[in-house]
Amino acid sequence: MATVALSGAEKRRSRVAVLDIGLRYGTTAMALVTATIVFLIATFLIVYSWPAIAFNGFGILTHLEWNLGNQYGTGVEHRGGFTGSPGASFGAVVFIAGTIISSAFAMAIATPLAILVAIAMHYQVPRRLKTPVNTLVELMAGVPSVVYGLWGIGVLVPWISSSVGPFLAAHISWLSIIGSGSASGNGLLATSFILSVMVFPIMAATMRDVLSTFPKIVFEGAIGLGATPWQAVTTMVLPAIRTQMFAAAMLALGRAIGETMAVLMVCGSALNQLPQNVFAPINTIAAVIVSQLDSALTDPTGMAERSLSELALILFAITLSVNLIARVIMRGGDRVKRTA
Amino acid sequence: MNEVTMSGSPVETAGARVMTRGSVLVTIRRNVGWGVSALALCSTLAILLAIFWFVLSRGLPALKPTLFTTVTSGIAGGLENAILGTLMLVTFAVVIVSIIGFGTGIWLSSYASPKPRELVRLLTDVLAGVPSVVVGYFGYILLVKMAGWQFSLAGGAIALTIIMLPYVVRGTDLALESVPRELKEGGFALGATYTTVLMTVSWPYALPSVFTMLLLATGIALGETAPLIYTAGWSNYLPTAHLTHSPVPYLTYVIWTFISQPFAESHALAYAAAALLMLMIVVTNVFARSWLESLARKQRGERA
Amino acid sequence: MKPLRIIFALIAFSITTTAAAFAAAELLETGSSLVYPLMNLWVPVYTKAHDVKITTQSTGSGTGISQAVAGVAQIGASDAYMSDSQLGSTHMLNIPLAISAQQINYNVPGLNDVHLNLSGPVLAGIYDGSIHFWDDAKIKAINGSLGSKLPHEAIIPIHRADGSGDTFIFTQYLTFSTPSWKSGPAYGTTINWPAVPNAVGANGNPGMVQACQGAKYSIAYIGVSFLDQTNQAGLGYAALQNAAGKFVLPTESNIVAGAAAKDKETPKDERISLIYGLGANSYPIINYEYAIVNPKQKDAATASEVKNFLTWAVTGGQAKTFLDKVHFIALPPSIVSLSKAQIAEIGS
Repeated sequence: MATVALSGAEKRRSRVAVLDIGLRYGTTAMALVTATIVFLIATFLIVYSWPAIAFNGFGILTHLEWNLGNQYGTGVEHRGGFTGSPGASFGAVVFIAGTIISSAFAMAIATPLAILVAIAMHYQVPRRLKTPVNTLVELMAGVPSVVYGLWGIGVLVPWISSSVGPFLAAHISWLSIIGSGSASGNGLLATSFILSVMVFPIMAATMRDVLSTFPKIVFEGAIGLGATPWQAVTTMVLPAIRTQMFAAAMLALGRAIGETMAVLMVCGSALNQLPQNVFAPINTIAAVIVSQLDSALTDPTGMAERSLSELALILFAITLSVNLIARVIMRGGDRVKRTA
Repeated sequence: MNEVTMSGSPVETAGARVMTRGSVLVTIRRNVGWGVSALALCSTLAILLAIFWFVLSRGLPALKPTLFTTVTSGIAGGLENAILGTLMLVTFAVVIVSIIGFGTGIWLSSYASPKPRELVRLLTDVLAGVPSVVVGYFGYILLVKMAGWQFSLAGGAIALTIIMLPYVVRGTDLALESVPRELKEGGFALGATYTTVLMTVSWPYALPSVFTMLLLATGIALGETAPLIYTAGWSNYLPTAHLTHSPVPYLTYVIWTFISQPFAESHALAYAAAALLMLMIVVTNVFARSWLESLARKQRGERA
Repeated sequence: MKPLRIIFALIAFSITTTAAAFAAAELLETGSSLVYPLMNLWVPVYTKAHDVKITTQSTGSGTGISQAVAGVAQIGASDAYMSDSQLGSTHMLNIPLAISAQQINYNVPGLNDVHLNLSGPVLAGIYDGSIHFWDDAKIKAINGSLGSKLPHEAIIPIHRADGSGDTFIFTQYLTFSTPSWKSGPAYGTTINWPAVPNAVGANGNPGMVQACQGAKYSIAYIGVSFLDQTNQAGLGYAALQNAAGKFVLPTESNIVAGAAAKDKETPKDERISLIYGLGANSYPIINYEYAIVNPKQKDAATASEVKNFLTWAVTGGQAKTFLDKVHFIALPPSIVSLSKAQIAEIGS
């Protein structure tokens, strides 16, 4: 039988069918690549930190001191089957505390701010100014982290130490987290402020975007039911975009936890002591890895380098736990809403 | 409704007072809400302008035409090598992350079954929390040392890709998810296959939002230092087109390193690099936005 | 799409402009941020006269050593020589290139234009918290008439938070002069700093300058290449007690005297600390700045380029025009010969 010529429609359909399969497999492959990258990093961290995990044991989660030991002495110290310099004892409490507290403060400041600004950007900014304003807010995300750090050192830290610190100390020093003001402006307050400025644009830009694609009919319906515009937004629109807000907040939290350069420049780099008030120096895991990496490379036993890698692994675990807990809370909230 | 009326009996007075209190409160609350949000926006923009002013006031005086034609040399010099290197690294990274990120995002919103979808979303969010220095060191051990690439363009681009990936993936995912179901169902009702609906309905609708996230991620990548120090290294000379075995210079290195030098010329160069970087980000944003606007104008009928 | 076209154009442009870049050999120098300013003064002058490309990087002494050992960099710059345990079984050359020093800066309003006397034990007391106030008896005792001007304010000790050669030489000074510090934190590029309530950690020498400037009654140890900066910032610097008991300032002659004290003792592999040398006028905190080089380079061309550059560095590079800008001093002639002997060992 002679070959039948395919009609135009049939050709198109078979082409689309190929595309269909191609797209499905192609995107699955890309998702596999993404998952593989994350697994690779996790595996690398675990394998590279193994000697440190054995050497430090649980001590790393309970000790305050980060002690590389005496690298210019003689002999080595054996623990857990691996060797470190004599006297080495790695404790991460200071860094874990600093990371969690500064990120928590940053999110507490940035999240409500981002919601408010997203509302303002979508509902209040006149149409002509919308594009410039949107661009400006997105620009904030593009400022290099070293530039934030430079601004922090040049403007924020001196301001805190000369104005904010004494002002707060004079008026509300009874609040223990304010204490007696600051010696230098480097510390928890500066770090939290800079972090909130850095993660805020991620949430604001995303939320504004979600608001702009949100069906107007929900808002208009609420007005029709007698709500004021503000009530309409807060009671109808915001809850409906809760999941997107959550996704943006998780990305922002990730950036806050992992931010390195800007934090390094303003945190005060505390070693061996926990912060007593908001002006005390702190240290975060990301910042301490950068500042200690060079020293760690001078440790002939290599244990310091492995311990830094173990810090990164601990951070990985913290990020994972925070994400899981947040998801559980979100899902729990959903369940409550549904049964109510 | 806002008038205060006081008449005779205590009950009436009390009732009037309650009514006034309630309406006054509502008025205040309604205005306060918008007032606070406007204030938030203004203070945010004020901070941004303060940072811009901080960098530009120090960097613009140091910007001369020769910066674009000389390489970094000695304690100052020019920025030609760093500019080219930054452009090459970020362009390369954007291309790779678009492929992987868009693909993963599409898979998450269109093809994935619930359990794998939640897993990949979780993994992506966790990836966002990996510090840039860890990504850099990971690249150093894996690519520079183990794979023997030494300091390289490929290594730097891969490190930047890993940094950008969570934003692009989640951005695509969210954007495609917010496509109204009615639009998609309309397409299906007309007999289109999944792919056709995706390509002709969902993707164009979602593109502006996807692009917002891509721009955000590009901005973050342009400003990264730590991952590049360990993978791209640094070079005082123009970058070569070699993918490996050839270190690549970039603007953020100049900012980070030259600000720590004891020479005023070095500081000037660092601020010039910072100003240039921020101008680059502004230009990229503006161009992308205007392109996006022309795209959105074509879709205006379909968008809310 | 327009953006794509622009991207391709940029890539093509960069390829064409770098076509001629393959002619010369390429060297990478990385490491100490203390030597970095000097390298940046040397390299442009040297590369103008010689057909070689040298890239300089400031990453830290530890990174310099590790990348030189790994072969990722040809020259690793370090403020500290490699210890025996660091050398292990590798054979790396530690070649002094110049001599640098460190001053102790402080910010005490009213006293910043005079030079306070400080000693190793006093500094150790400040940094381990046993000396709290500026008018402590121990500080007064060594400051004679200035002692009465010392204020009753808490001292804020500032230390380097990042791994640093400056910390290495400062803590060596404390270790060599104070037995209790020796058995305590000892020395290193990072040490286990005792937890003092007000203590602040700063990053890099500029961070130290900024922190000291911003915090009244603070004290910091800063590399001598930043002396101009600290003077501009209005910080005072101390006269330190040397091994002979005298209090000396970091002037050029005192640094030269300190270097000369250990001249004869410097071994062939030149790994020696210059801290706390004997001699009435020796400034106690001085050190060799080392180039850490692998005697086995990857090929003959690279080896000869490295040798040529290092030889120039210890001869032509010792000119005052370079060293004065960073307040370093030149290597004594006997050290130059030792360095040259080590450079000769570089091969492939």
